[in-house]
Amino acid sequence: MTEERFKVLAEAYGGDISRWPPDEREAAAALMAAKPAFTQDVLVEAGLLDAVLDDWTRQPAPAALVARIVAGAPAPRRASRWRGWLMPAGLSAGLAAAGVAGLLAGVQLSEQAAEGGDAVALVVAALDPTIVAEEV
Amino acid sequence: MGQTDPDEELLARVGAGDPAAVRALVARKLPRLLALAQRMLGDAAEAEDVAQETFVRAWRQAAAWKPGGARFDTWMHRVALNLCYDRLRRRREIATDQPPEQRDEGPGPDRGLQAADTGRRVGRALQALPDRQREAIVLCHYQELGNIEAAGLMGVSVEALEGLLGRGRRALRLALADMVEP
Repeated sequence: MTEERFKVLAEAYGGDISRWPPDEREAAAALMAAKPAFTQDVLVEAGLLDAVLDDWTRQPAPAALVARIVAGAPAPRRASRWRGWLMPAGLSAGLAAAGVAGLLAGVQLSEQAAEGGDAVALVVAALDPTIVAEEV
Repeated sequence: MGQTDPDEELLARVGAGDPAAVRALVARKLPRLLALAQRMLGDAAEAEDVAQETFVRAWRQAAAWKPGGARFDTWMHRVALNLCYDRLRRRREIATDQPPEQRDEGPGPDRGLQAADTGRRVGRALQALPDRQREAIVLCHYQELGNIEAAGLMGVSVEALEGLLGRGRRALRLALADMVEP
């Protein structure tokens, strides 16, 4: 890898070579061993910008947005027309109230969470305690 | 791609109307999609609209999703980006021109919270970039997509992506010079 190519990659992908294209990392590491002073300078300069960019944190997902999105999802296929027979009005109202209470609990919890992913996970968990939200 | 789509099984359950799968998919995808829209648009309310509309389309797609093509995550990113572009285009039609690429005015003298202030300045500097440069930086730096996936999403070559990233980052370095210099 040439010094010029090393610089182009740092200017494009930043100062952390683990975020560079995988097929260029080996050659980059070889250049770093051969020209430590030059490559260090280039990476530090790119890394300073990376650090500033990372200060722009995202806003967490509001609980109301999560609820709206979930409400628009496909309905269960086995939504039964017998539900009206099997579920008296009082029970339906009770379950609806429980759902709202759960959502509100999720909102409260999500407000305490620092990151958007955590907020979504908490609201989702409040909507359905049987699942564990993943990859947030 | 040749690899199994990690969302495939979840998506099939969503298509069948499984409420737990719906919630799991929202938990898995919403934070990144919302962040993408926030960073592309710089407007929280518009970003929420984009995220919601992306999911509306995902729900429609779920039952008919055919494995083997693009990954579902890539497809959702593409939908969200297109929605962002629609809104950016509309903004340009209303306002007259793109915001000029200019040096940021720097922090105000009476602001207290350094980190929040830094974030706001970075946000403003990114919004001042040309759309394609901003998109490249959002996809590669913030969404942490690989170069091939990001270039594919943008419909450009990897070389063109690198050019957009390099120009975008140079403009940011200039706009945020007082914060970037060692």
